[in-house]
Amino acid sequence: MRLQIDGLVQRFGTATVLDGVDLSTPDVEALVFVGPSGGGKSTLLRILAGLDVPVAGSVAFEGERLPREESALRAYRRTVGTVFQSYNLFPHLSGLDNLLLPLVHVHGLTEAEARERVRGPLERFQLAEHIHKRPAELSGGQKQRVAILRALVVQPRRLFLDEPTSALDPEMTAEVLQMIGELKSTGTQFVLVTHEVGFARRVADEVAFIGDGRVLAHGTPGEVIDRCPVPRVHGFFQRILAES
Amino acid sequence: MVVSCIMPRWLAHCVVVLAFAALIGLAFARVDSTWNWQGVWAYRAKFLQGFCVTLVVSLSALVVSTLVGGLAAVMLGSRSTLLEAAGRVYVEVIRGTPLLVQLLIGFYVVASAVGLENRYVVGVLVLALFSGAYMAEIFRGGMAAIPQTQRDAARAIGLTPWQSLRLVILPQAVRHVLPAVAGQFVSLVKDSSLLSVIAVSEFTLAAQEVNSFTYSTLESYLPLAVGYLLITLPLSSLSRLLERRFKYEA
Amino acid sequence: MQGMKSFMRRVTPVLLSVILCLVSASQAPAAPPLRVGMELSYPPFEMTDAQGRPAGVSVRIAEALGRHLGRPAVIENISFDGLIPALKTGKIDCIISSMTATPERSRSIAFSEPYLKTGLALLVGGRSPVQSAADLDVAGRTIAVKKGTTGHQYASTALKHARLLVLDKESAAVLEVVQGKADVFIYDSLSVYQNHKRHADTTRALLRPFRAETWAIGLRPGDGELRDRVNGFLEAFRADGGFDRLGDEFLAEEKAFFREQGIPFYF
Repeated sequence: MRLQIDGLVQRFGTATVLDGVDLSTPDVEALVFVGPSGGGKSTLLRILAGLDVPVAGSVAFEGERLPREESALRAYRRTVGTVFQSYNLFPHLSGLDNLLLPLVHVHGLTEAEARERVRGPLERFQLAEHIHKRPAELSGGQKQRVAILRALVVQPRRLFLDEPTSALDPEMTAEVLQMIGELKSTGTQFVLVTHEVGFARRVADEVAFIGDGRVLAHGTPGEVIDRCPVPRVHGFFQRILAES
Repeated sequence: MVVSCIMPRWLAHCVVVLAFAALIGLAFARVDSTWNWQGVWAYRAKFLQGFCVTLVVSLSALVVSTLVGGLAAVMLGSRSTLLEAAGRVYVEVIRGTPLLVQLLIGFYVVASAVGLENRYVVGVLVLALFSGAYMAEIFRGGMAAIPQTQRDAARAIGLTPWQSLRLVILPQAVRHVLPAVAGQFVSLVKDSSLLSVIAVSEFTLAAQEVNSFTYSTLESYLPLAVGYLLITLPLSSLSRLLERRFKYEA
Repeated sequence: MQGMKSFMRRVTPVLLSVILCLVSASQAPAAPPLRVGMELSYPPFEMTDAQGRPAGVSVRIAEALGRHLGRPAVIENISFDGLIPALKTGKIDCIISSMTATPERSRSIAFSEPYLKTGLALLVGGRSPVQSAADLDVAGRTIAVKKGTTGHQYASTALKHARLLVLDKESAAVLEVVQGKADVFIYDSLSVYQNHKRHADTTRALLRPFRAETWAIGLRPGDGELRDRVNGFLEAFRADGGFDRLGDEFLAEEKAFFREQGIPFYF
């Protein structure tokens, strides 16, 4: 995907969360946003996913601008998939019903067609055994993987993942990251917000550092994480890598 | 080594009810008056009729109040300031005034002005409007208890607002509010006794009339208590059954 | 100065207790109060004055009875159909609430000699076709009564075809008639007269009683001695002109009107 962001501004009440974001990426498959908490990463992702409308500025994927009007945005949202940090799945439905819901009610498949479509991916990602359980009976890692699957089975143009592992313990984090890694290998495009710097380095084609509501650095993982000339960014990664 | 003895639940319930009944029985035994069950038995048709009226009125008001409460909850959450204001005024005024006052004004002033003469219909409507205000707040609370991410997830999938409500929000809200709604239903059944002030011949009024004819207060009012339990206990049991069935917490 | 203070501190509680003892001693042995039950919503017999204190004919009778018995009268405001239960369970000692001595009630409690004659009359709605008590037992008629009264008793036993509306309060029953929701309100002739005066253009009053009744003081069945003393009081009070004075004070206008109409008046 080629992403073009120009002068994006977002405010909530009196707080300015995005203060003129500019970004232009080459045609990449995996774009990762990193940066300090409160820097604006999630806010930016929500705009890219079509969930919020910015106060000013524009976003374009493949040269196609994101609409600002709600019903057009809804149509856009149907072509992409989003995974949140937690509470993605609908707790009153089984995992399987969670998967089938968007297929049947949004994309017009019959229930039989929908079941057929999810069968392969369920096997592939080893979720078939658990899929009849309610979310309350699944582990955190399983829930997130089902959430990713739900976003995947509608065959989206790209996925948006907002800190999908931040609420998980290390073991579950690993299992979810592995699934995301597999997505990469199947050619699914995604934009990921994460704190997992090691994973970002492995998986990303392009990394953007978001801080103070702006893009402070962007480029290949090596350029941003290991060798960034911007002291603020460099210092951030030094501290993180020193911890791990 | 501790040996714990756990009673089966049905047995525990029986024990508690019997103990309670024994206490009440003791209190009755100390009251120095002769029983007059025959006199009261002669009026059993009156009791039965009153019971049926209470049953029908309560159930009708139950249904209507749920609809009214749902509508008011939607208004309260609406983005239109006018609708939200209308909902808020309705809830605050109705919750803040006694049902007695609403019944008297509703029947003798408003209904007369509008030309609605049937006191049973008016009674059901006033009762439903009264309970609806409480239902609205219960529904609001239930909706607010749903995490914002659920709404986000529904939007992210591409559901329309109506689909979100129907497929995601309401099913969850219903589970949250079920206990409170059941409680409100039971209150409504008991509040229906107030309809006697506009001469609706419901169960409590029947007991009061029998009492004034036979001067046998306890014999008139005990069947009343039993009769109300016959309506409220099934409601509570049904609610608990539904809660268990639709639980999605582990 | 210090000495004075500590002396006062020690003496004051002793002083207070002595005073209290003297005060209570001067009031003991107090006669037990005579608890009189009535529903204070029936002017001019049982009502409250502007300050909210019990007032009216029955209150005066109660006070006079108390003086006669040498016991302070205490008025208990109890709703009409709760009076007999209250008497039977010992919460009150007697009922002076314009209560008719009916055979049914006599099975439950005892009554004194009657002190007042009255009867059931009709407050008729302006647009109702009812002309007399004979018109009542017709299908399609709606009869309003106050719960627990003799009007209620009469209507539920004698009127099989009419629809009965049982109201809690006199004012509600009157409202039903005024608004045309009920054809008639069966109540005692005095109240019918008073309510008709207030709603002259929406009601008619058929004041001649179609059923005579007498009011008496309600007493517990076992209380034979009290009954005798109450009857003695009533005789003395009447002989003394006590009832006439009450009639003049509270019911002057009604007395004159009824005499004019040839309807038997009360005392």
